[in-house]
Amino acid sequence: MGTLALTRAIALLALLLMVALFLASSAGAADVSWRAAFAGDATARAILFGIRLPRALLAALIGAALAIAGVTFQTLLRNPLADPFILGVSGGAACGAAVSTALGFARVPGLVPLVAFAGACAATAAVFLLARRRAHTDPTRLLLSGLVLNAFFSAVILVSFALSKSSDLTAALRWMMGTLFGATWSDVALLFALLVVAMATLAFVANDLRMLAFGEDDAKSRGVDVERIKLVGFAAGSIVTGAAVAVSGIIGFVGLLVPHLIRMIWRRDFRFLLPLCALGGATLVVLADLVSRIALPSSELPIGAFTAILGVPFFLSLLRRDRA
Amino acid sequence: MLDLHAVSFAYDGADAVRDVTASFAGTQLVAIIGPNGSGKSTLLKLVARVLAPARGEIAWRGRRLREWPAKEYAKEVGYLPQEPDPTFPMRAIDVVVSGRAPFLGRFGWETSADYDEAARALATCDASYLAERYLDEMSGGERKRVFLARVLAARPKLIVLDEPLSSLDIAHVQQFSALLRDVVRTTGATVIYATHDLNWAAAYSDRMLVMQRGALALDATPDEVMRPERIRELFGFDAEAVQTNGRAWLVPRV
Repeated sequence: MGTLALTRAIALLALLLMVALFLASSAGAADVSWRAAFAGDATARAILFGIRLPRALLAALIGAALAIAGVTFQTLLRNPLADPFILGVSGGAACGAAVSTALGFARVPGLVPLVAFAGACAATAAVFLLARRRAHTDPTRLLLSGLVLNAFFSAVILVSFALSKSSDLTAALRWMMGTLFGATWSDVALLFALLVVAMATLAFVANDLRMLAFGEDDAKSRGVDVERIKLVGFAAGSIVTGAAVAVSGIIGFVGLLVPHLIRMIWRRDFRFLLPLCALGGATLVVLADLVSRIALPSSELPIGAFTAILGVPFFLSLLRRDRA
Repeated sequence: MLDLHAVSFAYDGADAVRDVTASFAGTQLVAIIGPNGSGKSTLLKLVARVLAPARGEIAWRGRRLREWPAKEYAKEVGYLPQEPDPTFPMRAIDVVVSGRAPFLGRFGWETSADYDEAARALATCDASYLAERYLDEMSGGERKRVFLARVLAARPKLIVLDEPLSSLDIAHVQQFSALLRDVVRTTGATVIYATHDLNWAAAYSDRMLVMQRGALALDATPDEVMRPERIRELFGFDAEAVQTNGRAWLVPRV
């Protein structure tokens, strides 16, 4: 029954994503066309295949990663406000990047993203240890722990910036605001591989994970190994968040926005939402990156600031509705 | 078929259920009554395998609970927690069909047979008209019926309901109590439910278990339980019995 509707929804969103990818790779400062690139024009090929396509694909993968992390965290925590950014996972990654910049690692290529990735994983572990009580993870404590950790990370980031060389600061700052500038095919390959692993893992537990929507006691009574499912879900969510933040910096609120937008159209369970959020998140970030690139003629807007401008009013309206 | 032998459970050292021994079999409606904190909910969670006993044994059809594969046990024993509430809006039919989950394989989706079971369960609960409606658009009584249908969708042999009558107004308490009795009759299941209300429990159930500070104080028929001196002793409720239609109702002595 559900599979036909799902196939149709996936086809629709995949089509949207294709359109977004085409627009994003076609638009930009240089006037080049796909037709010229296929005709063998070297400049067009270099710009389209070397710069724009990897950037658009990376945007899609980051959007998918953040959106599936968001929908997974929301389902696991039974909390509509859960998001990798709000839980402090993104903050942990930023903290890792800032500290490594202060220590002068910025000149070693690839090292800052690696430390950022470690930071995301450490933040997830910390937020869970703080929220854990008598072998249970309490959702309220978890959100509060995320809040406190974010405050701590902000402090560490500010101290790191104060101690950093000014020549390293521009790159660090750009990263803090989220950027897809300089995307490479190896970034695309790495993120794609991690995303496939995370999606497969989540698909494997989806039938049990969706049962958490009715509460942990209910799920347990239906034969779900709740603690195991939570561990698997959070691990998958943090790995993709860590990888996304490591590559692109902090692009907030995607994990919050996308699952809610998808739910407004398809009010279904996690098995349904997971693939749709991946596609929807991909489309949103591709379009957000496109707008951030072409909105101003001379300079690029930070994409993280852009998604935050979209996301904050959305978060506040959810908060209001929750209270009412 | 369900046997509890000297079952105990404690939260952080505080005893919640102490040394409970009881057996349940056949088609019957069993009410567990007792004041707040007397261990009713904990006892039901132990039976539903949400919690595991600290001491003692629970067996279902002669096999100890921890030896049952979780999903197999879930096919036979249905549990309704106190205030179930899906985090995000869901249609009643989707809620009810999710009760078929223990029967699905790892990547399985509900088939039309599962939807037929769900529709049948909704009909049993007089809730067919709610199928396409969203839970957050329903009254408390309607939601309760949908959640009962969700439990019934698995066709369990034992049904465990935690305070299904709480937060219902008096007309819905009556409707739901009658529905529980019908469910017992039509499904042939054993239904155990926790409730605060002595009189309603006595009017509709076949058997009453009285819990007191975690222990089973009394396990008897409604007629035996509904005696003023016994109730004063168990609940500290100063009651007198009023006889109507051959049945005792307990009212406050004023």
